[in-house]
Amino acid sequence: MSGLEESVEFAENPEPRCPCVLLLDTSGSMQGAPIAALNEGIRTFKRDLEQDLLAARRVEIAVVTFNSEVRVAEDFSTADVFEPPALMAGGQTFMGTGINKALDLLQARKSQYRANGIAYYRPWVFMITDGEPQGEAPEQVQRAAQRVREDEDAKRVAFFAVGVEGANMGALATIAVRQPIRLIGLNFREMFVWLSASMQKVSQSQLGDQVPLPPAGWGAI
Amino acid sequence: MEAPDNEASSTARTGSARRPRAARTPAGLRNSTPAQSLGAAPAKAPSAPPEAAGSAPRWKVASVSVRGTSHERAGGVCQDSHCVRETAPDRLIAAIADGAGSAARSEIGAEIAARTAVDALCELLADGGAPPNTDEAWAIALRAAMDRARAAVECEAERLGLTPRELASTLILLFATPALAAAAQIGDGAAVIADADGELAILTVPQSGEYLNETTFLVTPGAVEAAQTAVWRGPMRFAAAFSDGLQILALRLSDHSPHPPFFAPLMQFIAAERDMEEAQAKLASFLVSPRITERADDDLTLLLAQWAG
Repeated sequence: MSGLEESVEFAENPEPRCPCVLLLDTSGSMQGAPIAALNEGIRTFKRDLEQDLLAARRVEIAVVTFNSEVRVAEDFSTADVFEPPALMAGGQTFMGTGINKALDLLQARKSQYRANGIAYYRPWVFMITDGEPQGEAPEQVQRAAQRVREDEDAKRVAFFAVGVEGANMGALATIAVRQPIRLIGLNFREMFVWLSASMQKVSQSQLGDQVPLPPAGWGAI
Repeated sequence: MEAPDNEASSTARTGSARRPRAARTPAGLRNSTPAQSLGAAPAKAPSAPPEAAGSAPRWKVASVSVRGTSHERAGGVCQDSHCVRETAPDRLIAAIADGAGSAARSEIGAEIAARTAVDALCELLADGGAPPNTDEAWAIALRAAMDRARAAVECEAERLGLTPRELASTLILLFATPALAAAAQIGDGAAVIADADGELAILTVPQSGEYLNETTFLVTPGAVEAAQTAVWRGPMRFAAAFSDGLQILALRLSDHSPHPPFFAPLMQFIAAERDMEEAQAKLASFLVSPRITERADDDLTLLLAQWAG
């Protein structure tokens, strides 16, 4: 017979999705070098993911920014069509509101997956900030911290907080369940390469409740 | 794949007579461990039953586990394992186990799980004489074999100074004669059969949680008691079991129905092959061919059995 490679046909299933929200601080203090490095890092993230055939189709990225307002800069799209936004910095730090928005966005996305029979991996929120909650109602921050805790406990989300120089790591630790990571310098490029490798690993794991992630060489605890 | 919330509905499918009857966790099993129910001696060292001496085996079997390209890149080992035994006169007992990617030594756990489950089911059926004649009796026997596999994995973990979680794997256990198939499954992967007309039916379906990368393992507390079991009766000629890496290619995940154009060439292939060693090699090269690996870069196990009686 002519080889199995030619004769076996595959079932057509929707590609499973691996949602990831980049939750980014675009407050005034990020102006200049930090926001430039962050923009460059996001472009690296896209390029890196694209090179992995499976990850490019499975990892969905959304970008939520927070300063004096919270904005969905990019709704979920797979890495191959994701357009890195050009972020500008200015204003205060509505971090709690931003977190709530990110979690809402994920919840809505999961409903869409379910409605369309698409399997999915546990979502990630990756928050990057150089400050602490500022200018918003304290209830927003409390609610955000509580939701992160509940969602982590229920395994609804994996929430990572990364502090750029100047970030209040103590304040971040009261929000994130996982220990916040301090970015070394403005090493966003390495950070996003790591994030890409992690997402590739997750999007390829067909099982294993939590894949071990590659070690972070760009940050410290 | 359908949303996991709906997954339990796969047992409630209305369907043709070809659908297997699923027996998940009958209430009567809750308070007794499967091993106790059967009165089987616990922790007996597994011994390989003799092969069907003198008579040519009438199940043609090809089964391979290959390392996924992602594991290859990472320098990892193949964490899948499988074990097949043909027992006299026409019984096939097979198991496949997919070691957890998140577990340090899951390749060891997978190997022990598959081998011990097969050994245990061979023994249980030999001890009891005739095969079970009700779905419930089958569920008890299959779970008892899985329970021994779990105990063996835990025992090995203790010997190695590891936690059982570090040896975690899924497990599919399959029994087949030309007139009956019975299977039990913990975690992902699936078992499929074809009847005398080549009509496919799913026996056991992938079990995962809400998220694709979360599943149940043999060593998960309560997993054996909750294992999915199914019995299919009628003339049958083909059985297949595969690890989760092939799910997305072999099944329509919305309803877990087998994809006929995936299986038909495999059925023809194994029916036509004379030399089973060569068939193994061909199957292995199929599983590492680019068409497969660009869709599935996990470890892969595929077991094919054809009744050639």
